[in-house]
Amino acid sequence: MEARQIDVLLEQAEVQRRLGNHRGATDLARRALTLDPTHPRGHAALAAILLDARRLTGAGLEIRSALALDGNDAYIHRIAAVVLAAERKLDEAWAHSLIAMQDAIPVPSAYVVAARIRVLQGDVGNARELLLEALALEAAHTDALTELARLAHTGGKPDEAAQWITQALGSDPADHDAHVVAGHIDLTRGDAASAEHHARFVLQHRADDAGALELWAAIQARRSLLLGAWWRLSSWLLLGGDRRQIALLIGGFVVSRIAIIITDELDLDRLSRVLSLMWFALCAYTWFAPVMFRRMVARSLAAVRLDPEF
Amino acid sequence: MSYQIADQPVDSTLRDYVVRPTLPLLATMMCGAWLAWPWFAFNAIAIGSPTRRREVALCAAAFAATLGLALVVLVLFRAGVIPNGLPLRFALLAITAFKLAISYYLVKIQERTFHVYTYYGGPVRDARRLLSVGWIARGLVLGLIDHPLWVIVIGGVL
Repeated sequence: MEARQIDVLLEQAEVQRRLGNHRGATDLARRALTLDPTHPRGHAALAAILLDARRLTGAGLEIRSALALDGNDAYIHRIAAVVLAAERKLDEAWAHSLIAMQDAIPVPSAYVVAARIRVLQGDVGNARELLLEALALEAAHTDALTELARLAHTGGKPDEAAQWITQALGSDPADHDAHVVAGHIDLTRGDAASAEHHARFVLQHRADDAGALELWAAIQARRSLLLGAWWRLSSWLLLGGDRRQIALLIGGFVVSRIAIIITDELDLDRLSRVLSLMWFALCAYTWFAPVMFRRMVARSLAAVRLDPEF
Repeated sequence: MSYQIADQPVDSTLRDYVVRPTLPLLATMMCGAWLAWPWFAFNAIAIGSPTRRREVALCAAAFAATLGLALVVLVLFRAGVIPNGLPLRFALLAITAFKLAISYYLVKIQERTFHVYTYYGGPVRDARRLLSVGWIARGLVLGLIDHPLWVIVIGGVL
């Protein structure tokens, strides 16, 4: 009876995760794990939910619990591959994705996960092959088509990207991820209005979709030179993780201070004062730019009308 | 008792005193380590951070490490290895950069739990007044003990 109850709770949690209701999904998975804290798939399902909610620390701990409880479940290995890829532990992620792909019944999603890891490892050719294998298993697999579009887009092939994304949206016209990729392709081609249309569509159905919000922010960033510069800098910093951010901030501080100390020692008072002011201006900009940018995005988002069924 | 997710903050009676982790960082720059690091430690406890013990230990270690670095610089300066002027200023800059790096690192750790905390509707206090008081009081605190070690360890960045 309890096992059945846990399965139902986890199924409901997965439905809520797909709907983007992370809080509801987390609560359901937590209820399942309260009934049985040693349920391997329960921990894996919770890891997938936490990852979607951008709670990487929690996701990492949960998936490690799942693997410790059951090291032979292909589903758990697939989720482990996704979580470890997000942690940028790419070799480990790849090892898990290989196990996930060796399941008795091949799952196209396992190939998509493996392809995403290959992209992060810089092996775009193999990623493409894996995606085509996923399509061989299921011709209209939206995630595989979307990933192929993303791959072509980042590879500087906008026409090919547009073809793949048209197929993806033809396969599932409501797929949020496909709309987000379509928006980025349109933005690169200079069609901000169409990009906004895609972002708006997703946000109307899922107001907290991280990909759509990022696309929306990228569209808004093009409307202001100063805030756009901050957006590009912060996106680059985020890609590099905590270390890059701390290194750049400390590096900037030390370099500016060295310049100020040297000019001061050489009695170049005016230059020293100018450097101090420049450093102060940069600090003020990096402090206020995110606040202003967030306000600008929030103001523009207020104009997005939610879907009546939201 | 429901399952406790590893990254989720635990209930704390000090929730009303939680501040954004960037405020203690600002205190590092404007007021000094005397306010910033104890504030980071208090905030970790108030949020109910699962990593609060590590954060508190890091704050204590930051004081100890800064004291160690300051002692090294002072001994080398008195032995004449680090001459007055440019070399001494660079040595002191290295200590300041170290303090700033520790504070940034603390922000990064604390922000992870802080985001989860606010996601579940945890209250956040606006502590700009405390920051202003710290800014005004920093001269008083720095003047409490007339020794270079004191100033180096608890001083700020500005």
